[in-house]
Amino acid sequence: MQGWVRASRVLALVEHDGHHVLFVFLSSRVPPQTFSDLTIERLLPIDADFRCEIDPDSKHQDGVDVYVNISSRKLKLLFELVPGVKTSNFVGEIFRAIEVFTKRRGPPPDFHWLQKYTGNMSRDMLPESSLAEVESEALQQSEEQQDDSLSSTLLDLECADITVPRQSIAKGTTPIAARESVIRYQMAMKEHHYTYTQVLRIFIGTWNVNGQPPTVSLHDWLAGDPEPPDIYAIGFQELDLSKEAFLFNDTPREEEWQAAVINSLHPKARYRKVSLVRLVGMMLLVFVQEQHVAYVRGIAYETVGTGIMGKMGNKGGVAVRFDLHSTSLCFVNSHLAAHVEEFERRNQDFHDICSRMSFTRFLPPKGIKDHDHIYWLGDLNYRITELDPKLVKECIEQANYQPVLECDQLRQQHKQQTVFVGYKEGIINFRPTYKYDPGTDTWDSSEKNRAPAWCDRVLWKGEGIEQVSYRSHPELKISDHKPVSALFDSQIRVIDAVKYRRIHEEVMKKLDKLENEFLPQVMVDNTEVVFDTLRFLESQCKDLIIANTGQVPVTFEFIKKLDDSSYCKDWLNIEPFAGFIMPGEKCDIKLEVFVDKKSAFKLNSGEDKLYDILVLHLEGGKDIFITVTGTYERSCFGSSIEALVYISVPVREIPVGRLMELENSKEISSTQDPYPIPKEIWFLVDHLYRHGLKQPHLFEQPGLHSELLQIRNWLDQGSPDPLPGCVHSVAEALLLLLESTAEPIVPYNLHNICLNASSNYIQCKQIIMQLPEHRKNVFLYLCAFLQEVLSHTNENGLDAKTVATLFGTIFLRDPPRSRGDLTSRVRTNQQALDRKKANFVYHFLVNDQSDFILGR
Amino acid sequence: MSAGPYNYSYIFKYIIIGDMGVGKSCLLHQFTEKKFMADCPHTIGVEFGTRIIDVSGQKIKLQIWDTAGQERFRAVTRSYYRGAAGALMVYDTTRRSTYNHLSSWLTDTRNLTNPSTVIFLIGNKCDLEAQRDVTYEEAKQFADENGLMFVEASARTGENVEEAFLETAKKIYQSIQDGRLDLNAAESGVQHKPAQPGRNTQLNDQQANKDSCAC
Repeated sequence: MQGWVRASRVLALVEHDGHHVLFVFLSSRVPPQTFSDLTIERLLPIDADFRCEIDPDSKHQDGVDVYVNISSRKLKLLFELVPGVKTSNFVGEIFRAIEVFTKRRGPPPDFHWLQKYTGNMSRDMLPESSLAEVESEALQQSEEQQDDSLSSTLLDLECADITVPRQSIAKGTTPIAARESVIRYQMAMKEHHYTYTQVLRIFIGTWNVNGQPPTVSLHDWLAGDPEPPDIYAIGFQELDLSKEAFLFNDTPREEEWQAAVINSLHPKARYRKVSLVRLVGMMLLVFVQEQHVAYVRGIAYETVGTGIMGKMGNKGGVAVRFDLHSTSLCFVNSHLAAHVEEFERRNQDFHDICSRMSFTRFLPPKGIKDHDHIYWLGDLNYRITELDPKLVKECIEQANYQPVLECDQLRQQHKQQTVFVGYKEGIINFRPTYKYDPGTDTWDSSEKNRAPAWCDRVLWKGEGIEQVSYRSHPELKISDHKPVSALFDSQIRVIDAVKYRRIHEEVMKKLDKLENEFLPQVMVDNTEVVFDTLRFLESQCKDLIIANTGQVPVTFEFIKKLDDSSYCKDWLNIEPFAGFIMPGEKCDIKLEVFVDKKSAFKLNSGEDKLYDILVLHLEGGKDIFITVTGTYERSCFGSSIEALVYISVPVREIPVGRLMELENSKEISSTQDPYPIPKEIWFLVDHLYRHGLKQPHLFEQPGLHSELLQIRNWLDQGSPDPLPGCVHSVAEALLLLLESTAEPIVPYNLHNICLNASSNYIQCKQIIMQLPEHRKNVFLYLCAFLQEVLSHTNENGLDAKTVATLFGTIFLRDPPRSRGDLTSRVRTNQQALDRKKANFVYHFLVNDQSDFILGR
Repeated sequence: MSAGPYNYSYIFKYIIIGDMGVGKSCLLHQFTEKKFMADCPHTIGVEFGTRIIDVSGQKIKLQIWDTAGQERFRAVTRSYYRGAAGALMVYDTTRRSTYNHLSSWLTDTRNLTNPSTVIFLIGNKCDLEAQRDVTYEEAKQFADENGLMFVEASARTGENVEEAFLETAKKIYQSIQDGRLDLNAAESGVQHKPAQPGRNTQLNDQQANKDSCAC
């Protein structure tokens, strides 16, 4: 996640000598094809500062992008990984590498071997040999880097050049999935803007009570300071040394000591218990002042036994963790391995506690190290071995602790970084806390004669923690140990609710804004496309340019308007009507208007106009209306027979209004008598009669388009010149004229009757007799002409069946059907129908019609 | 990429309607971007905007369709009424003609949306007091007579813009709560997205406490 948007990265987990490093690569190609595509962007050693968390949004959900927060020192990264087995394996490997780190022994790795990568960040420098194990996935990642400085954060925020397209935002799905993760991430980035630190006093106490019941007041230990602490974390060891406690982990001491503690908490404040955790003799009690209770969240406790068999609870640790405001706290009370010489066992116990203490209510489980503040207390059991016990006692009597502390095993081991790496301890200015004769301040008088030691310690890790005091409380004498306490002033980050809300709102607003900016955006060069005068059968084209001016790829489509069956009128063709445009690119759309036999009659009658509003829809975005207009020049093509017979002049010479009136009125009022048939039909037939009777393939061979246009003009405008065009063009013009009418010669309502009667000539004749007068005239006129054509079979090669089939489909044009009918109609069925139409016409081609024509 | 988890519970569809030039697009822009868009071109089509708001603790995604006001597009823009949960009907307080046309816009809205659609009347440009041509009182009366919610607003200053969009959402949400709005109806204009658990903001506890504080 770079800024607010994604950028692709390739992640690789590299292992070298048992240490792991996460390599983050930039790739010039996605997915990368060769090594040279990759450049190392950063290296994240998997060490104590490396944290990896699966964003709570994406866990438990299959098929959802996985968001992984990775932080290393001050760097916070958010990766979005495509879901799948590869991703879960990869994330699993990272977790495994973290585990390997926490379980390792010895001083922390220095990752020296990384220098050759950091020195020259080029892929060429990567020797194959060092890639002991490479888990490499070409994954889609998002990454955001946070520098320490505030200014760069703001820069990031206001960064205008968001160049990375994010198609999914436009689709409105994934960005929402991402949204909550991004918000949480952005809020985490801005934490210092809405948090302030509040210093809380924390009391840490530890006491090995040697199995004694609480017979004394703990007041001197817990409430000796003038001001009450905000938090108490009080640890006990050897609470109960009985077999029952060990075997059944059950002891009445728990209640007794808890009650004793509660009774001795500082009287100036009221406390609430956060948690009590006990494993055999190790017990940890955590209290907070009542005023803080509302800000305590995520309480969890765990225990780890490292005693007998490495598992039992006689030794080990117990821990409580919780979040206070915006800071995570972890308290560990441990009782490490005993015996003077066993410091390595103690180190081992420490590491075991670290690696095995796992708060499993979190996913991935949180360990001790995953906390801002860690307080480690307990009977750590480190001794003084290199000094003579007598000498030790002497030094102590003189309060000369320094030489003795030099020999303290814990100090020594800590210095050698074999234990408590990263932890701090305050200056010890109190007598060793072990071992006394119970009830006294005198050193253990048994024959063992061991050197006194500071077994009971408090250490801490984390920023903003200041130790105020570190002391023992020898006045509590019931045990062979003295209690120890440490006071801390710890900086807790507190959320300022008002500021938080304001920043949260800003983040939300920014996301809203981005979401709107990431909506698909295009510019259309013209939203009002005007065509010139348009004539029948003459197409015109206009180009439209759709430019993607937005941030994301655009999928566009011309969509249907409410109740429309198509996205445009049938006289318009849009190519392409749908498509995909990358940001910054353009798409040319060709709009072609073409009035043919199917659309002409609607335009002629005024039922339709050359006017359409196209809806250009951007997927996931807005719609743009594009108006298409033009003027249609009316023609005899598309005019009805009923109208044409009343027009004695060329069609274009009469006003448009008159033509529409003729087309639309049932009762035609006219001062003049109509022609028996339209003059246009007569012109065409007459031409064919005179020039085409002997023409082979008459009606079969198509005409020339240019000549058809000439014939159209000749008919519509009138001309003293002879009819232009060859015979075939004239023949096609005749067919076209008959096909362009709103209804065929035989009206649709008689269509089925005709088909049913097609085998019976008498019935067919009767139907024709019922036709409206002008249609009947045209029908019989054309049949007579066709008989004439067929009388020249020898020359033109036509036969009655061919002509009947051709004119059958014209006289008995199929009624318009809805789409559903068309598809369901079986092909063979259509052939049968066409045969019936041919049969119908055939009668009139082979029988003598003269009586028929003359008789009526 | 698959549709992921949602961080909002509902999607409400809004339409903004009214005469050309009353400031529909500016209202949308002010609401989504918190800015006044001077020299806003006429909308040729239907603009689209989105914002996530909070109503009674529920996150609601508003999908707002801002329609072209030109009369010649009226037939086409009618397609967009279907499935709107909220309709913002806008007139210009400085042009009486835009107010006079409200009844025709209202007729379209009533005919083309469902009965539970919340209609909110907005008298825009109320910052131009000197040029006022429609009084608050008469518009308020019109709204009351027709059962509409009503405010005067200004896309320029932002006055009442937020309120109009939010109040509409509140009313819709109320209808859902009261059961008056049937979420299963395809045309309710509301989509319900069950919120995923554990996606509250940082101020809320993200996990149920294993232990409770007790003393």
